[in-house]
This record gives sequence, C-alpha cells and structure tokens, in this order.
Amino acid sequence: MEDPVIVFEDVTMRYPNGHVALEEVSLSFGRGEFVVVVGLSGAGKSTLIRCVNRLVTPTEGRVIVDGTEMTGLGDAALRRARARIGMIFQNYNLVRRSSVLRNVLAGRLAYLPTWRTLLGLFPRADIELALRSLERVGILEKAYQRADTLSGGQQQRVAIARALAQQPSILLADEPVASLDPPTAHQVMRDLKRLSREENLTTLVNLHFIDMAQEYADRIVGLRAGEVVFDGPASGVTEKTFEEIYGRRIRPDDLRGTAAVAAEADVPDVETPPVAV
Amino acid sequence: MSSSVEAAEAKGPQIRRTGTGGRIRFGIYVALSLAALAWSFSGLEVSGERILKGLPQVGQIVRQMFLPPNWAYFPKVAQEMVVSLQIAALGTAIAAVLALPFGVLAARNLTRLAGLPFAGKVLLNMIRTFPELILALMFIRALGPGPFAGVLAVGFHSIGMIGKLYAERIETVDKAALEALAASGASPIEVFRYGVVPEVLPDFLSFALYRFDLNVRAATVLGLVGAGGVGTLIQFQIGRDWPSVGMILLGIIVTVGLVDFVSAKLRARLA
Repeated sequence: MEDPVIVFEDVTMRYPNGHVALEEVSLSFGRGEFVVVVGLSGAGKSTLIRCVNRLVTPTEGRVIVDGTEMTGLGDAALRRARARIGMIFQNYNLVRRSSVLRNVLAGRLAYLPTWRTLLGLFPRADIELALRSLERVGILEKAYQRADTLSGGQQQRVAIARALAQQPSILLADEPVASLDPPTAHQVMRDLKRLSREENLTTLVNLHFIDMAQEYADRIVGLRAGEVVFDGPASGVTEKTFEEIYGRRIRPDDLRGTAAVAAEADVPDVETPPVAV
Repeated sequence: MSSSVEAAEAKGPQIRRTGTGGRIRFGIYVALSLAALAWSFSGLEVSGERILKGLPQVGQIVRQMFLPPNWAYFPKVAQEMVVSLQIAALGTAIAAVLALPFGVLAARNLTRLAGLPFAGKVLLNMIRTFPELILALMFIRALGPGPFAGVLAVGFHSIGMIGKLYAERIETVDKAALEALAASGASPIEVFRYGVVPEVLPDFLSFALYRFDLNVRAATVLGLVGAGGVGTLIQFQIGRDWPSVGMILLGIIVTVGLVDFVSAKLRARLA
C-alpha cells in the first residue's frame, strides 16, 4: 500500500470503568479506500472510528492521520487536523433550530478566523461552497429551511453536505443508516460511495448490516470484543466470514434488505426478507 | 413464562409489606400536618367571633370600592400604570441580559470543572432569596424613592430567576450536535455560538417574556413601599378613598390580564 492515510499502531482503548473497547489494534488505510467496519454492537466499531479524529483518545498506541500523530496533538493543532476529517453520525447530529445552510456552513468554522465566525460573517466563497455541497447531495432547495423540518434521510444528507463543506480527505461514518428505512439507507450509502469516489476520500463506515457491507465496501474490517478478527476485500467475504466475526449464526435483523427489494416495498418498515449472502 | 410468574409471587409479600409501611407513614404525615395546623391557629389569634364581626366590614369595603369605582380617577391610574409597566420592562430587560453570564456559568454541561456550575447555582440561589420588597426598601434607602429603585429591585431579583432558567435550558441542549461541531474542528467558543445559542435563544426570549409577565404584578405592588408606579397611589388612597382604590385595582386587574394574554400568545409563537 503506498503511503497510508490512516495508521493504527497497537491502539488500545480502556475506558475509565475498565471496559476495553479496543485491544492492540493495528490497521492502515490507503487513499480513496472505502472501508466498512462490521461487528456486533459493543465490538468497538464506534471507538475505532472516533480514535481517527480523537473524539476518543486511546489509552495506548498511536493513530497517525496524513502523517500527523493525532494522539499527541494540542488543542489548536487537533482542530486543524479535524478540519480535514468529515464525520457523519447515526442521528445526523444537526443543530435543529438552525437553517440547513447554517448547519452546512458549520463545516467551515475551522477554516475561518474566530471573529468572522462569531459574527456570522461567512465569506461568499464559503457560502457558495456550502450551497454546492447541498446541490451535490440533491437538497439545495432546502437550504433556507430549519433543519428539524426535514425527514431523516434529508437530515443525513445535510450532514453529508456539512462534511463535504470541510473539503476533507477522510470521511468517517458511524452507523449512518441505522435510523433510516431501507430505500433511504441505500440512497445514503450510494451518496457516500459516490462522493468518496469523486473526492478520492478515505472512508470508514461502521455498519452492522452485513448485506450492505458486502454491497458497498471495497474492504471489510471485522471487530469482535475490541480485536480485529477479519480484514480483507469485500469480494472474498461470505456468510461464513460474518458468522466468524459475529461469533454466532446470522439472523434476519443482521440484514437491511437489498436496494431492489427495498425499493419495491411501499411500507418503509417491511420485514427484512431472507437474503442469500 | 413460569419464571416471571414465580418472580411476581416472590415479590408479592414484599409489595404488601411496603403497602402497610406506606399506610403507616401516610398516617404519621397526616397527624403531623394537623398538629402544625393547630399550632398555627394557636399563635395567630384566630377566632370565629372576629371572622363574624369582620366579614360584613369586608363586604362594606368591597361595595365602596366597586359600586361604583371612582371613574374620574382613571387618567391618574393610567399614568402611574404606565410607570409600573416601564419598571417591569426595564427591570426585565436588564435582568435578561445580566442573567446570561450567570446562566452560562451555572450550566453543568459547558465546563469540565464541577466547581464552577456549583458556584454559579449557589450565587443564583442567593440572589433569588432576596424578596423584591426588601430589595426595593434597600435601593430606596441607597438611591432615594422613585421608579429607579423599583427597576433595580425587579432587575436584581429577576437575574436569580432568569439565570436559573437559562442554566437549566443550556443543560438540555443536544450533546450530539455539539460533538458533531467539535468533530469538524470548531473551537469551544464556536461550538457554543453555533451549537448552543441557536437552540436556546428562542427559549431564553420566552423565559424573559414570562418573567416580564410576573414583574408587572410585582411592579404594581412595589409602589407601596415608595418604589414608584401604580402602587404609590394605593399607598396614598388606602383607608381614605375606597372608590379610588377600586379604580386602581380595576386598572391592575385589566393590565395584568392583558399582559398575561399577550405574553402567552408571543411565547406560543416562539416554541
């Protein structure tokens, strides 16, 4: 792999209550890779991607992003490093009472002097970038609506636009489709994949739906109890692989349903059909 | 299935036991409350005789006040009522602004230091314990009688009330949105500006409006001790000219009712 963008070196995360979320994890991710991290809830997926932008600081080991060791950065340097890392969350995490545009402009805060951001004086170029970002996820016409008037899928696309406005080199997504119905979930995954390709973004996505992981990932990393138990191309993954990662048999709720099946369904919350993996 | 039935049976005697304990405790509370009530009566020279003698006189005063009130007094009442409204408005505005730093200081979710919010809350509680009337008397002593003392009394007391509401509102802000801002590289002050302020500002305005509502009532009474406004007229006319007092009371009731109505309407729009 030429010049990895993200490197984990023997990373261990032990929370103050003694829970070990990651145990000596060593991984590296190259430019433009679209990686899906799978594992049961509690396996350490969320902790893993939060170590990349240091929303979580590992107790041992090093995380290196674009040649910068994240684990040792001071506050100001950490903010500069975070500016290049976009992040998307399960519950969108928008400021509900702010407009869609203002939420997207928040992606520019780290690039602008504080006096400007405090006064709300965004340069024209930044506003244009924010509007272009909204256009790229197909909701430009919602720019001046309050964020909480949008549907879940639309809110997640605002969150993607906010990440895009950061002009990132890395995109992190923590269970981005867990709160969405199957058609919307596939829509959001397609958006992520497309933008990741267009911008050549190194992308880490946490998912627990194994069919979606197979459909969208270039590479799959499997975590169990804080340890990497699988790491390989998505093409080589079978149901058996997932059973090894999960340490149990695959169940219907491990599947989100394929895009085709989901699109046929009128009701968003249909029972997940059995899918041959 | 059977295990849950067993669990319920196992809990059965416990439930009955706490039930008996609860009834005994309830009986004790009732007895204590009755004792406290009896004690209150004993100290306050309450007697049926006095009530029987006093009631007709109360009826007499009410008749004198409202049948009819002194309508000719209306212009004077209106003039002083405006002063009371001004006292309430200025006092509330000052408090709404000065309460901001206190509210931010007292909110537990903005700092990692536990001592700061604690100190802020204690400070706000101390401010709140001063009744407006006592504050008014203090400010009258210090600055001379008149509406300005009233403004300061209303303002000072309201800082304590509004500041507490501000702090509690800030504490309920969605942490997840703040995390997203921090993750994009925003500094703590930017997280506050873009994550906290837009969420809480409409509610802060709503709190200030509600406080204005209460302060109008307070400001009408403050004149009784010389802090300006319509209360000054009550102090002047009470026991002397009941029809004029009736006119003042009518003025207060109508004004407070109107302010209440308008404030409720505005607050509904801020939700």
